[in-house]
Amino acid sequence: MSTDLNKILRLNNLTKYFGGLKAVDSVNIDFKKGKITGIVGPNGAGKTTLFNLISGFLIPDAGEIYFKNKRIDGLPPWERARAGIGRLFQDVRVFKKLSVQDNVLLGRLIHPGENPLNNFFAFKKVNRMEKELFEKARYWIEFVGLSGKEEAPAESLSFGQQKLLSIARMLMGEYELLLMDEPTAGVNPRMIKNLLNLIKQIAEQGRTIIFIEHNMNIVLEIADWVYFLDEGKVVSVGYPKDVLGDPKVRKAYLGI
Amino acid sequence: MNYLLHILIMINIYAILVFSLNLLVGYGGLLSLAHAAFYGIGAYGTTLLMMGIGVNFFPALVAGILMSSFFALFIAYPSLRLKGDYFILASLGFQIIVFAVLYNWIGLTRGPYGIPGIPRPRLFSLEIDSLPEFFIFTGVIFLLVFFFIRILCRSPFGRALKAIREDEMTASALGKNIPSLKIWAFVISAGVAAISGALYAGYVTYIDPTSFTLDESIFILSILLVGGSGNIKGPLVGAVFMIILPEALRFLGLPDTIAPNVRQMIYGFLLVILMRYRPQGLAGEYRFE
Repeated sequence: MSTDLNKILRLNNLTKYFGGLKAVDSVNIDFKKGKITGIVGPNGAGKTTLFNLISGFLIPDAGEIYFKNKRIDGLPPWERARAGIGRLFQDVRVFKKLSVQDNVLLGRLIHPGENPLNNFFAFKKVNRMEKELFEKARYWIEFVGLSGKEEAPAESLSFGQQKLLSIARMLMGEYELLLMDEPTAGVNPRMIKNLLNLIKQIAEQGRTIIFIEHNMNIVLEIADWVYFLDEGKVVSVGYPKDVLGDPKVRKAYLGI
Repeated sequence: MNYLLHILIMINIYAILVFSLNLLVGYGGLLSLAHAAFYGIGAYGTTLLMMGIGVNFFPALVAGILMSSFFALFIAYPSLRLKGDYFILASLGFQIIVFAVLYNWIGLTRGPYGIPGIPRPRLFSLEIDSLPEFFIFTGVIFLLVFFFIRILCRSPFGRALKAIREDEMTASALGKNIPSLKIWAFVISAGVAAISGALYAGYVTYIDPTSFTLDESIFILSILLVGGSGNIKGPLVGAVFMIILPEALRFLGLPDTIAPNVRQMIYGFLLVILMRYRPQGLAGEYRFE
């Protein structure tokens, strides 16, 4: 087994069936630390399934997943999150009845106040953490442009705003690895620019980003490396320009 | 006056039950049909300790709470790892087992004969036995429970429970330890229900298994549904409304032979109307889907 620390996430022969369909078919990928990796491919290529396998919502039928050289494919989702794998959902998945602020606060991974006893016997520690989190939450809420809506229930926001909220929530987690499923879909163009800058900043801090994206301009702009998936298999790998110029990719994806 | 005090005492006792259930149902999104079982464990546990080995009310109460919480832990551990529907079935099973034990273990519980002559709670040298004293006593305990539950509901623990209620998968993607949070909610809710049981036993001075049936569990749950769950005021509104309603219906002057049945019908009708036009309850935040 490789002990190369530059390889933050390693998928080894990862396979997932849905009935007779191979949604993910013997995928071998080493994701490099601190890089922005794009996953592209037609609908149904297995991109989101791949994310679900990594974050633990699906159990692979074969293969292994190593995160920082530790095998994680047997861990429940919450332990993988706490290990440092963050997830942005394609369908936003905000907590609809909860306020914008509560949604963002929930992004904190480990909180002493989630043990009920600490709210009575260690309330100072809980309060200190809450105070710190309120500051951070305010920062990220402002960052995504939702200031003034702290008390509003998440369901009252538009889809684009809910997306921004889910991004703020994810940023509270301070993850080492971020899985972003179509981060810019439904977000207004001005905000997309901020978002792409943020993604680059996060990567500059040495954190790793893997994103699924249909907009090829965005892939060309931010990705360091690209995997093209089709029918559960990696069909093409390389620099964004090369992959998007690959005749196999053009045929499968663009039909030309 | 005494009649009014009696109703107020019963509201206090039921409010404690409903508040504890709210933590589980309204915050955790976990429907439980075993609340009367924990109510009963509190009543029988406290009573047997007081009458069997002469323990004072308060230590017996603490022991009753711990007993109830322990049983909750015992059934929560396997059943809360399953999906929501299985948990409802597990709680139903537990409710039926507890009733069967209370009813049939005659050597311990006297079964259907019940236990009469339960001593009144004693606070230092003061025996709490008059209605006004009981009203104040249950009121103070209700307030303590109220603030206890309120602190929990407004804490990061309550926030995480609400997140689980809204979307378990996303909550777990945010590092929330789902099994642990649910088990805590269930254990706390069972422990607090035991307090109601102890108060009821000390107030009525007689208990038998028919007070702790599945019907009672459903009644407690319906108080929560009528009042509304997921916030602080819903359970209170529910307890006041559902305890006063049958008393108010007494004044309809129905003949004794049909009064209970007519009351049940009015009850059922009101519930249906409410669920149709106000599914979140009179004052609730969360609605069942």
